[in-house]
Amino acid sequence: MDVEPEHNQTYQPGEARRVANWFDPRGRGLGLLAFAVHRITGIGLVAYLVLHLLALGILAQGQAGWDSFVALVRTPVFLALDVVLIAGVLIHGLNGIRVTLTGVGLGLRRQRSAFVGLMVVAAIALAYASCRIFAS
Amino acid sequence: MNQTNLHGRASLGWLVQAGSGLLLVVLLCLHLVANHFVVPGGLQTYADVVRYLSNPVILIMEMALLVTVTGHAALGVRAILFDLGLPRHVARNVNLALGALSIVVVAYGAWLISRVVGGPT
Repeated sequence: MDVEPEHNQTYQPGEARRVANWFDPRGRGLGLLAFAVHRITGIGLVAYLVLHLLALGILAQGQAGWDSFVALVRTPVFLALDVVLIAGVLIHGLNGIRVTLTGVGLGLRRQRSAFVGLMVVAAIALAYASCRIFAS
Repeated sequence: MNQTNLHGRASLGWLVQAGSGLLLVVLLCLHLVANHFVVPGGLQTYADVVRYLSNPVILIMEMALLVTVTGHAALGVRAILFDLGLPRHVARNVNLALGALSIVVVAYGAWLISRVVGGPT
């Protein structure tokens, strides 16, 4: 017996593929890449925000707990993760500025070049940040 | 999330998301510079953190950052979830859940700052 969907049911079989399609670059333009990158970095930053706030709870334990935490995050693994974090912040932030500008009607004809240009800026800033992180 | 409604005006959610994003660019830059770029070694000691958060201007800036980033993150997660095509009653619950979670996050941050500045017991 077929089950009729509810009148206000908007979830349909295959809707979940929408998210999976973010990762499928075949036949896609730069616009979808920018969209997918923006959302993926956003999700990553939300996860980092949660971890960051939980980690800062160590401050409530006083100096001993904080000193141990600082020693841990100075290890090369965590420094590498910091570089990944900075990459996410730069990509999401700079692309977000582009999205905001185009959203208010600015730079509509320059979206592609704006995206590429901003990602170049992000790469340069990331290189500088990486040097600062590993040199500290 | 639709950027415009039927009358061509940007939705309030989009405006808040965009505005908070621009504000975050400024606040995050200040946060990163103050906490990691001017501090020797890139990380503050416990005493540095207490001194840092005891400054009223810094306190306001950090709380503004927390509120802004929490709101921006919640709206972003909401946009992604809504793109999955949620039923109306689920969408309403998502709004309530994200709103409650945001309040909890900001309250937690405020509590943590008060603990740090007040000193652990």
